[in-house]
Amino acid sequence: MREINSIYIIDDDPITVFGIKKMLGSVVHGGVVHSFANGKLAIDAIRDTTSKNAEIPEVIFLDINMPIMDGWQFLEEFIQLSLPQKVRINIITSSIDSADIEKWEHYRLRSKHVITFNNKPIKKEKIDRITKVA
Amino acid sequence: MIKSPLTEVNNYLIKQLPTATAFLNTKLEVVYASDTWIDYFNFGNRNVFGKKILDLFEKTTRNWEKTLKDCLKGKNRGPGMEHYVDSEKKDRWFEWTNIPWYDENENVIGVIIQTKDITRKVSNELEFEKLQILHDKKSEIAKIGSWNFDLASQKLSWCKMTKKIHEVPLDFVPDIETGINFYKQGHSRNTISLAVERAMSQGAPWNEKLQIVTAKGNEKWVIAAGKPLFKNNELVGILGTFQDIDDQVQAEMKIRESERLLRTLIDNLPLNVFIKDRDSKKILVNKAECDFLGVKHPKQVLGKDDFDLYPKKTAQESRNEDIKVMNSLKPVLGKETICEKKDGQITTFLTSKIPLVGNDGIANGLIGISLDISNIKQKEEELRDLIDVTALQNKKLVNFAHIVSHNLRSHSANFSMLLDFLVNEKCGKEKENLINMLVEASDNLLDTLENLNEVVAINTNTNLNKKPVVLNDMVKKVTKNLNAFLLNNNAKIVNTISDDMRINVVPAYLESILMNFITNSVKYKEPTRNPIIRLHATKNEGQTLLEISDNGLGIDMKKYGDKLFGMYKTFHEHKDARGIGLYITKNQIEAMNGKVMVCSEVGKGSIFKIYFNERN
Repeated sequence: MREINSIYIIDDDPITVFGIKKMLGSVVHGGVVHSFANGKLAIDAIRDTTSKNAEIPEVIFLDINMPIMDGWQFLEEFIQLSLPQKVRINIITSSIDSADIEKWEHYRLRSKHVITFNNKPIKKEKIDRITKVA
Repeated sequence: MIKSPLTEVNNYLIKQLPTATAFLNTKLEVVYASDTWIDYFNFGNRNVFGKKILDLFEKTTRNWEKTLKDCLKGKNRGPGMEHYVDSEKKDRWFEWTNIPWYDENENVIGVIIQTKDITRKVSNELEFEKLQILHDKKSEIAKIGSWNFDLASQKLSWCKMTKKIHEVPLDFVPDIETGINFYKQGHSRNTISLAVERAMSQGAPWNEKLQIVTAKGNEKWVIAAGKPLFKNNELVGILGTFQDIDDQVQAEMKIRESERLLRTLIDNLPLNVFIKDRDSKKILVNKAECDFLGVKHPKQVLGKDDFDLYPKKTAQESRNEDIKVMNSLKPVLGKETICEKKDGQITTFLTSKIPLVGNDGIANGLIGISLDISNIKQKEEELRDLIDVTALQNKKLVNFAHIVSHNLRSHSANFSMLLDFLVNEKCGKEKENLINMLVEASDNLLDTLENLNEVVAINTNTNLNKKPVVLNDMVKKVTKNLNAFLLNNNAKIVNTISDDMRINVVPAYLESILMNFITNSVKYKEPTRNPIIRLHATKNEGQTLLEISDNGLGIDMKKYGDKLFGMYKTFHEHKDARGIGLYITKNQIEAMNGKVMVCSEVGKGSIFKIYFNERN
């Protein structure tokens, strides 16, 4: 069990959100877990937080296919934010499309943040491994 | 001794002799001379009498002196010829007759010299000799022989050349029958027999191109000409010429043969061949070119230029190209050209233009060769279309496969995760919660499968059920069905589609398409204004364009343009947004060979342009 102050889950599928939350319960303690149904809601929340000098998430679980703003669009905007600390972003997707892997590489190399690519289904052990401060 | 009176008489008589005559004594001194003799040698007033003859002539031959001396011995040497140059430096020729001069007692008392000026005769002879040589040479070069038939003696004589042409020895003696028999049996022999017969009976000349078979068995072409000779209106013979024209005829035949070969070749080439002169006027066209220009005979286009045959623009382009080729002497090879005829027919050619360069190094025309590749072009286009369609279908298929795989994977991942939780869960309440979620996941999966099934159905049914539909009938049907929905949203439909507009579609798809666009326009209305949806349709070249425009929220095309018609993509926060409508609509449009495009501006509205293809 480790301590993480703030975790974001960005996914439009309530079952996935439920699953990640449930697994996180046995991996971390304390801290707050926020979930957002699309990238737009999440980036707005992050902008809001930084403007209030409040704590930004240390770990983000990010889905790719979402309405309004998808995972890539979120990343595009996120890496342009000038954040002082590194954030760990775990992409969680059922996509095995090579185009998505390429996009991940693209963002990974352009960003100071730690970005990982994880295929569904996610097991508890995996959550344990990828839920840590970057 | 000669008595004086006699001498006087003699002198007087001799003086008047018409033939130039001189009498010499035994000392070869001139005793008497006729005036003609004195004139002859231009002695004039010079006293020649008593002078030695050999002293009177500066240049004489020793031969003459000997002749004269022989005469004194009583030997008659017959006439001799002497050449001398007169006072005017002209060549003159004389024939001398030197005979002994006898007295009554047959004693030689001197020499009598008679002189004849044969300068003209000699020069005539020389001239004749020259002419003879010239004639021989001419006949040798032109291979023209002559012959002569004397009627009285029935003798036929051939010149050397005539014999040579017949390939007979020079001592060959022809007669009229052998002469005729040299002609090739059939036309040639018949013609000559008839000609000779007509010459004899009617005095008609002839000039015929005939064939002979020589003594060595060679066939030769000759021109045989004959002209009857008359004396006092009586036929005395026939004079003729005989020319060997075999080389010319052979050459002509070869030329004609190669011309025929060339003509056959170019007429049967599956290419349009033409030759133009410096002014780009056609001077040769082959059959294919005639067929292309729609004429039966080359005569109908020879002498015409492109301005006579093609519209001005095409003609000018062609003429410019011709000038360039002729001026630069550089051929144009295999250039793809589009040729429009006056009737508007368009043909694509691979055209080559090759300058025809004369001996002076200047092009005086060009050869054109065109290969009609319209069919190939069309096939190519069809093939490209097919490739495009295939590529598109392939892309759609891959896309669809990804959608299927992605959707099914996400559902199965959820099942797997939930089941994993369920297996390890001990709390009964939580177990129930997980089971409820599993049921929800299962419903989601069914929904997805249904959506996918719908897409598959659209793409497999394709054009089978296309039929003409009055567009406005369908619009009315859809708006009637949506009546309550439109009323609730204060939506207004402005329809400017004409009532006779028909389109070839799958009716159910058209209904679904209209339903979807109209519903979307209302669903994503700008909250501050009542939705207005405008419908407009135009027909153009087998294509109907239906435009559906609204004053709704609009879509950020930069951000979402490429995803607008994607599956499970939603762009507005709307509770009913499923992300499937536009995807299905697009599939339906494309399944009918149509396409859809969109223009949109955030806050102003969107225009969807739907192109319906009339063909299948």
